[in-house]
Amino acid sequence: MPIIEVKKLSKTFKVKIKEKGIKGSIKSIFKPKYKTIKAVKGISFEVEKGEMIAFIGPNGAGKSTTIKMMTGILYPDAGSIKVIDYNPVKQRKQLAYNIGTVFGQKEQLWTHLTPYDNFKFFGAIYDIPNSRVEKKIEELKELFELGEFINTPVRNLSLGQRIRCEIVASLIHEPKVLFLDEPTIGLDPVVKENIRSLIKRMNKEYKTTIFLTSHDVGDIEKLCKRVIIINNGTIVLDDTMENLKYHYLNKKIVDAKMREKVNLEDEEGITILKDKGYNLKIEVDTRKRSVADAIKLLNPDNIVDINISNIPLEDIISNIYKKEDKK
Amino acid sequence: MRKYLFIFKSEVMSNLQYITNISISFIGIFLMLYIFLNLWKFIYSDPNELINGYSYNQMIWYVIFTEVIWSVVGGRKMCAKISEDVKAGNIAYNINKPYSYIGYCLSTNLGLCAVRAMLYIVLGLLIGLLFLHSFPSISILEAIAVFISFVFAIVISILMLTSIGLLSFFIEDSGPLYWMYSKFILVLGTIFPIEFFPMWARGILKYSPLNAVNYGPATLYVNFSWNSFILVIISQIVYLFIIYMICKLIYMKGVKRLNVNGG
Amino acid sequence: MLTEVKNQIRVMALSTKYSLMREMLNKVTFISNVFFMILNNASFIIQWLILFSLKEDLGGFTLKEVILLWGVAASTFGISRFFFSSAFKLSDTITNGKLDAFLVLPKDVLLSVITTDVSVSALGDMIYGYIMLIVYGITVENFITFTILTICGGLIVVSISVIFSSLSFYIVKADLVSDTANSLMTNFATYPDTIFKGITKMILYTIVPVGISVYLPVRTIIKFNVYNFFIIVVLCIVLMTIAYMVFNRGLKKYSSSNLMISRV
Repeated sequence: MPIIEVKKLSKTFKVKIKEKGIKGSIKSIFKPKYKTIKAVKGISFEVEKGEMIAFIGPNGAGKSTTIKMMTGILYPDAGSIKVIDYNPVKQRKQLAYNIGTVFGQKEQLWTHLTPYDNFKFFGAIYDIPNSRVEKKIEELKELFELGEFINTPVRNLSLGQRIRCEIVASLIHEPKVLFLDEPTIGLDPVVKENIRSLIKRMNKEYKTTIFLTSHDVGDIEKLCKRVIIINNGTIVLDDTMENLKYHYLNKKIVDAKMREKVNLEDEEGITILKDKGYNLKIEVDTRKRSVADAIKLLNPDNIVDINISNIPLEDIISNIYKKEDKK
Repeated sequence: MRKYLFIFKSEVMSNLQYITNISISFIGIFLMLYIFLNLWKFIYSDPNELINGYSYNQMIWYVIFTEVIWSVVGGRKMCAKISEDVKAGNIAYNINKPYSYIGYCLSTNLGLCAVRAMLYIVLGLLIGLLFLHSFPSISILEAIAVFISFVFAIVISILMLTSIGLLSFFIEDSGPLYWMYSKFILVLGTIFPIEFFPMWARGILKYSPLNAVNYGPATLYVNFSWNSFILVIISQIVYLFIIYMICKLIYMKGVKRLNVNGG
Repeated sequence: MLTEVKNQIRVMALSTKYSLMREMLNKVTFISNVFFMILNNASFIIQWLILFSLKEDLGGFTLKEVILLWGVAASTFGISRFFFSSAFKLSDTITNGKLDAFLVLPKDVLLSVITTDVSVSALGDMIYGYIMLIVYGITVENFITFTILTICGGLIVVSISVIFSSLSFYIVKADLVSDTANSLMTNFATYPDTIFKGITKMILYTIVPVGISVYLPVRTIIKFNVYNFFIIVVLCIVLMTIAYMVFNRGLKKYSSSNLMISRV
């Protein structure tokens, strides 16, 4: 039984077009021109309970519109959504009791209050009895290692500490589904790593389903087992992380530094990515040619240094984005 | 001088883009004027009656004129901007540039005021025509004289606000000072001419900056005479000189303080 | 149902309390804000002294009644701006997609949004209102009437702002309409309605009901009248209901931050 079910979901926006200059401004008052933008075009997908899923796509692909519809912020034009048995359109409040949201760029905490007071405030919003809130705070304090600063006003906390508090604030009411929108934006690598492991631990501990969007490939790679890629309002890929990588794992990148110049040309299974005479970068499709073949072509005696690697996930994803745009 | 003219011109150009927004902000002024119109209509039982020497029509034109000056200058934002410059230390960047900060302030703010003046004078005249169906009897030459004194009033107002803003060098918040200034202008000069105040206050008010920034030019407009024109212009020149010196003094002392504290 | 209402009120009270705490972080600014607002209101006494030196009676209003008028207007304004300060920024909140944060919480959107901030200077207005009542001549009866009617008046002012701001769900520049309506509600409130006639007076009792939020309360405090009292209370409830319905109808059209103007 999936915990999230989205069927043929669509949303269109009417956007006012304004021409430049004073004339344009006056014109747009009396005779506004609109164009319709189809932000989401009939997408469908399901998420199982306890899954950690990455929902990604380039800017303006329809990601946030979809999340906003799933959380009850926007009304869909067509299609249906079910999140934990609730219809966000009709049961916004009931849904809100059962989901959590963290929007990386928007703060929901009062900055002049301590995290502790903030958590108590959220307890009141979710109608949780005082004794239970206190117990929950204690528990989350341990899990998210907030002990040091739980009584320091939020405005005096570092960005990393703040985002940890933001996440805790969205967990006070034990949501069954957590929506994380760019949770690690603007954080340094060490803090990012820390947040990721905390999210992982939380998912394990509470079996919370996590719906994550991020532009950070690290987030996606380290947290999620499944990826949905959306572009231009349609889903272009819905697969496991393993499949995604495997599909591209057939390709290896060979980066070689040569003693003498070699003249290579593209041939079956081998693509030259870069050729600067002494420095070469070639892509080998291992289904057609072996890596050894490629090295032989280079003349192994001439190689000063060599590096054979997989295509980075980042490139895989941006390739998928580009491929879609060309269509 | 040329560089200030250039700053002024580019400020006018950039504000021309917001011409619709600036015009729309006139709605608030219109409402206030409409209330005053009703108020004076009630108080003047007979339109030909004179109260303290002012006819009903003169009274309404007086208020339109002073309200237009008040909103063309738009003091609150201007003062806040200068305060902000001082506090955020932006002023430090201006110190080693080849222009005076006061000259810079004056030319940018005049640029904004020029656009507003252009719109508000037209709108003000239209409102007066709508309310009263006539203009004060004034020749073209006299109208030009009134306009000159109007420009003087704007320049002096800007310098007054600049000096209040610059006081942020010395005090934490210049807000209350601005507040007192605005009350002085609004309550004592904008709503009524000085003749409406008790005898003892009139003498003081007549020599106060009110004569230079709103009362003087406004009475010229509703009841022009070359005699009073000369008197108003003289008081404006005197006040312009005084306020410019004050401004300069505050700025110089302030910058010195800035250097001592290391910005 | 009852617990839901109780919880909603609890959250609103907490929200107001925390906002006030934030404003009180800087004590000097806090006190000077309140103090200067009181002085600000007081300065207009000069205007009225002069006006009444010209004419003793403005259609039944003497200086004494105008003082009460200022008291009611200031208190009404103060209550609306202190407790519901964000109701007057609602247009901006809607247009810039800032309702998102409230929509994901299990509380009423409108009530949560309008109680998320306080305006400190409005506290000065509220205090000034009572000072004026004292100057006018306070009694136990008129104190109670004054308090109830200024609360009603404040809620009416808030409702009007919500109704006009809800236009922002449909058009982009609706803030111009709501700002104008809000300034009408305040500017007209400090002048006796006896100076207005005809269409103006009609508007003041209908589209921008300053008449019901200020003028009628002033009459009722001067001379208590059960009939007027109930009219104000009932109209207040009616306007609040309309505001609630209009907002929630518009909310279905809410487009978050997607209602942008794209330049060609």
